[in-house]
Amino acid sequence: MIAFILGRLWQSLILLVLVSIIGYCVLNLAPGGPLSQYSLMPGMTKEALDRIAEQMGLNRPLYVQYVDWAWKLVQGDWGKSFRDGRPVLSVISSVLPATLLLMVGSTIISVLIGTVIGVYSAVRSGSVFDYVATVLAMVALSVPTFWFGLISIYVFSVKLGWLPAGNMMTPGDGSVWDVTVHLIMPSIVLALVNVAIWSRYMRSSTLEVLGQDFIRTARAKGVRPRRILVKHVMGNALLPMIALAGMQLPALIGGALVTETVFTWPGMGRLFLDSLGYNDYPVVMGILMFSAILVLLGSLLADIISAMIDPRIQLN
Amino acid sequence: MSTTTTFSNNNSGSWRQSRVLRQFLRNKLAVIGMLMLLILLAACFIGPHLIAYDELHIDLRARFAPPLTGGHIFGTDPLGRDLAARLFHAGQISLFVGFCAMIISTVIGTTIGVVAGYYGRWVGAVLMRITDAFLSFPSVFLLLALAAFIKPSPVMITLIIAVTSWMELARIIEAEIKSLRDREFIQAARMLGLRGRWIMFRELLPNAMGPVIVAATLTIARAILLEAYISFLGYGIQPPLPSLGNMLNGAQQYLTSAPWLAIVPGIAITMAVTGFNFIGDGLRDALDTRKG
Amino acid sequence: MTKTTGFELTRRRALQMMGLAGAAAFASTTLGHSVARAAGTDQEGRVIIAFTGEPTVFNPHKPHIEADEAVHAALYDTLVEIDEKGEYHPVLAETVPTIENGGISADGLNWTIKLRDGVKWHDGKPFTAEDVKFNIELLVNPDFASWRKTGHELVRDLKVVSPTELTFRLERPYAPYAAILASTPIIPKHAYDGITNLNEAPFDQSPIGTGPFKWKNRIAGDHVELEANTEYFGDGPHLKGAIFKYIPDFSVFYTQFKTGDYDLVGIQYLMPDVYEEARTLADKKVELVGNGYVESISLNMKKPQFQDPKVREALYLAVDKGGIIDALYYGTMRPTESFMPQESFYYNPDLPKHEFNIAKANEILDAAGWAKGGDGVRAKDGVRLAFTNSTTAGNNLREQTQQFLQQTFKEIGVEMTISNLPPAVMWGDYWLKSEFDSVIVGLNVMTGADPECSDYYKSTSSPATGGVGQNTWVYANPKVDELLVKGAELNDAAERLAIYREIQSEIRKDLPFLPLFQYQAVRGYKNGLEGIRYNINSRSDTWNIREWRWAKG
Repeated sequence: MIAFILGRLWQSLILLVLVSIIGYCVLNLAPGGPLSQYSLMPGMTKEALDRIAEQMGLNRPLYVQYVDWAWKLVQGDWGKSFRDGRPVLSVISSVLPATLLLMVGSTIISVLIGTVIGVYSAVRSGSVFDYVATVLAMVALSVPTFWFGLISIYVFSVKLGWLPAGNMMTPGDGSVWDVTVHLIMPSIVLALVNVAIWSRYMRSSTLEVLGQDFIRTARAKGVRPRRILVKHVMGNALLPMIALAGMQLPALIGGALVTETVFTWPGMGRLFLDSLGYNDYPVVMGILMFSAILVLLGSLLADIISAMIDPRIQLN
Repeated sequence: MSTTTTFSNNNSGSWRQSRVLRQFLRNKLAVIGMLMLLILLAACFIGPHLIAYDELHIDLRARFAPPLTGGHIFGTDPLGRDLAARLFHAGQISLFVGFCAMIISTVIGTTIGVVAGYYGRWVGAVLMRITDAFLSFPSVFLLLALAAFIKPSPVMITLIIAVTSWMELARIIEAEIKSLRDREFIQAARMLGLRGRWIMFRELLPNAMGPVIVAATLTIARAILLEAYISFLGYGIQPPLPSLGNMLNGAQQYLTSAPWLAIVPGIAITMAVTGFNFIGDGLRDALDTRKG
Repeated sequence: MTKTTGFELTRRRALQMMGLAGAAAFASTTLGHSVARAAGTDQEGRVIIAFTGEPTVFNPHKPHIEADEAVHAALYDTLVEIDEKGEYHPVLAETVPTIENGGISADGLNWTIKLRDGVKWHDGKPFTAEDVKFNIELLVNPDFASWRKTGHELVRDLKVVSPTELTFRLERPYAPYAAILASTPIIPKHAYDGITNLNEAPFDQSPIGTGPFKWKNRIAGDHVELEANTEYFGDGPHLKGAIFKYIPDFSVFYTQFKTGDYDLVGIQYLMPDVYEEARTLADKKVELVGNGYVESISLNMKKPQFQDPKVREALYLAVDKGGIIDALYYGTMRPTESFMPQESFYYNPDLPKHEFNIAKANEILDAAGWAKGGDGVRAKDGVRLAFTNSTTAGNNLREQTQQFLQQTFKEIGVEMTISNLPPAVMWGDYWLKSEFDSVIVGLNVMTGADPECSDYYKSTSSPATGGVGQNTWVYANPKVDELLVKGAELNDAAERLAIYREIQSEIRKDLPFLPLFQYQAVRGYKNGLEGIRYNINSRSDTWNIREWRWAKG
């Protein structure tokens, strides 16, 4: 097991290097370059731009810049934001709680709703409910997240006035209740896709468990169906679900970006878009790397859990 | 097809195809998906001829007309253009972008998957690690980072969507090819001295076409969604060319006064994507030999 | 549509005092409203100001956006300030230096600045002439990525005479320098003690000023919070705190204003389409306020399509300005013929008025030999009258304007293609090095409140032709060049007036850009907030935040 984990860690490390090269190339292929932020300043001259380029080390060959950047990255120096001069890591970590809150909120919702729908579909397999759930899950996977957000705002904020249309808190308030109210709509919107995936997954794993011998035995013994469900089905399905969560991480982070935009949620996705708009290359790069690391950790976790569940995987 | 193909669809081809087709048609959702797409295609390609308005014609006096007023079935936009006419053209463009992105990403994904699966060892390892590396970025992030620094045109948008959506297919194909690589008919082909390229694309690939077709269908759905995402965020296809995504860009601003600007294109996107997803799902069931 | 109020007329008259000589008349005026020592006890409530851009740069000398300047104005003071009537007042300076009071020598070259005594930084250290010297030196220091060198780079022989007095000499007479000083906040020298890399000082994150409010904290992506500086040297502040809130989306921005989540609308302001509704809101005061930006279709004069003046004239005739302003901007903008704000003393009101006349445009092009080809597009000597138009992608109102223009241009046989770009691409080399055909852009070419605009219209200011500046039209008119040099050196407001009016009429004649309108913003605040004075001469919404207070009771 330890050898397996070490092996996977090693692979992840190699991946990270590849990821950083891809990310670095993407950003540095841009025509404007990091300098365009300065070019609109009053009285900016070509000479001054050249000097700034030199100060920033942008006049060196690309691979030298990359190695320099990557070496600093390893040492924990992710560069400084062009906008406010703060270290990139602290810029990211300052918006991270908002994104995590949104992701956790949406995960709780999708796990709760997804489990209920999934288990019920499996138990009533072939029923109208099951069928409708299947269809709705497919539709949910097809609805653009931002559009679902817009429609929710239209219904619940514009028409009904029940929920705030955006932001994380009322200015000057920020109490737990206040944040919760603001959290409801975005987290539901973000949860939509995951409810679909989750419920499908719960359905198939419940069906699998229900078909196993020990369940039939338990039933024959007269154990009540609900207890069987809760104890065996849930117990057996839980670990795979964590693995699934690991696999779903890129989609969740991507979805968070779009959701944050629609609901002006002050998280990492919002920061990413703002930074793109202001040509804040170090932050854009930082977020790309950071999300890639999260994703890699997620899939590492997923793999380890899968290996724990299914010993055969270790052999591969 | 080579004579050494003992395992594939040569003599049993027509039988298998009809079985797949029957399987597919038995899947209600797949049929519904087909119907939805047919309706959309009809609307996009026949619709413009039935509408009295040009999708680019601006009439400021008619701006913000609600649906079903003044001969505008879906109403008008902030420049007084007919929303239906724009929607149908947007549909054409979005479907076109989706289709082209699918073709390109399928070519990339299949090539990488087949080469990696056939050669295995370090070639396969390198290719698959690159695939994994691309997969490590949430695709919207990668897409936006690319889109923010290029000159947006339908061609470029299609390309960057394709560049960010070939990875899953490559993974599937690689696994499939790996499992086929050591079968007898391939070993026989090798012994006959056939070149690697021939074996890969003439022997192995046809046997892995099922997953390719399924993935291609789902990729269209995904490409339409991705186009909508980046155009909504203002980095996609630029006006006056309408796309399903850029029709929604700015709709948020008018959500209170003109909600149809958000509702109409959104439903169209959902229909198109759902249609392709239903079909893809149906195809998966129909092509799944383990089931049959 | 736009109503001119008496307020504006008096403002214009008063703006006659905007030049240096003009300021002399107020030399004896001390900072009337802030001269009284504050007891520091009457702060009550706090104000929440919302912006659609996020304030992120708190060192005012670093490159920043306008939303940042709102925070700067609360944290820092300038030596002098210009009020909404164009009058200069001393802030950190004891008096406004003028020729009359001996602060400036008769030739405009030698300056003496006397500073207010007893002013303290937020950290308790005394403010002295050394601080002022440090600021000017920092701004022109080649190792510092400076927001603005213009004007400061002319300063020579900067000497600290005493802790409250410094003198310097300008290399050549430069009238706008007073206006530049009025928009140069002063930061503490001691914040840079021991700093080797000037671009990365801890001060950038935890600013220290002399202003009416002190730094409290910042939640990145959400808000900045300041608290009252009870030791403030002037009158005020009358609020316990100020919150600068970032709301990136215009519809949320307006919704939260309606619901009273914040008190005052900050920069980028409300969208024109909500103006009619917003002005009827019961507990809010909403009005249109002019600002110094002028929207135009900027043409690249290097391109063969635009070299014939007849083409530019015809294009201007084919712009349905009324349609754009009334429909797309809901009548909130003011049509203009000049690049200069109409509030400015130097504004030329006698420029020829634009008319929308397709027939005339067609006539002009026919007469000039631009004949329609088979595709309906005119051409002459192998040059097709076809070009691209660009602006920042995602700017909805501009995108609508473009599409509207496209239609009327088509009617005169001109093919305009829209090619919008992400901001990163748009405002880089594409704009600066004049790689575009035409661009829709809003520009404020003034130097603060001063009409000096050589950076934009001098033929030597085009980066595309090896120049330095922002003349991206590659506009070259020897007469304008000459006038610009003269205008910057003269000190007498009346003499300058004639020069700048002539510059405007030359540029109106040449049409390197087709002026669309001068911006007016839909601004507003909650009833009960007192002391708000909109000031076109300042880029900060909060220029007088020390005076703001909530109505009692």
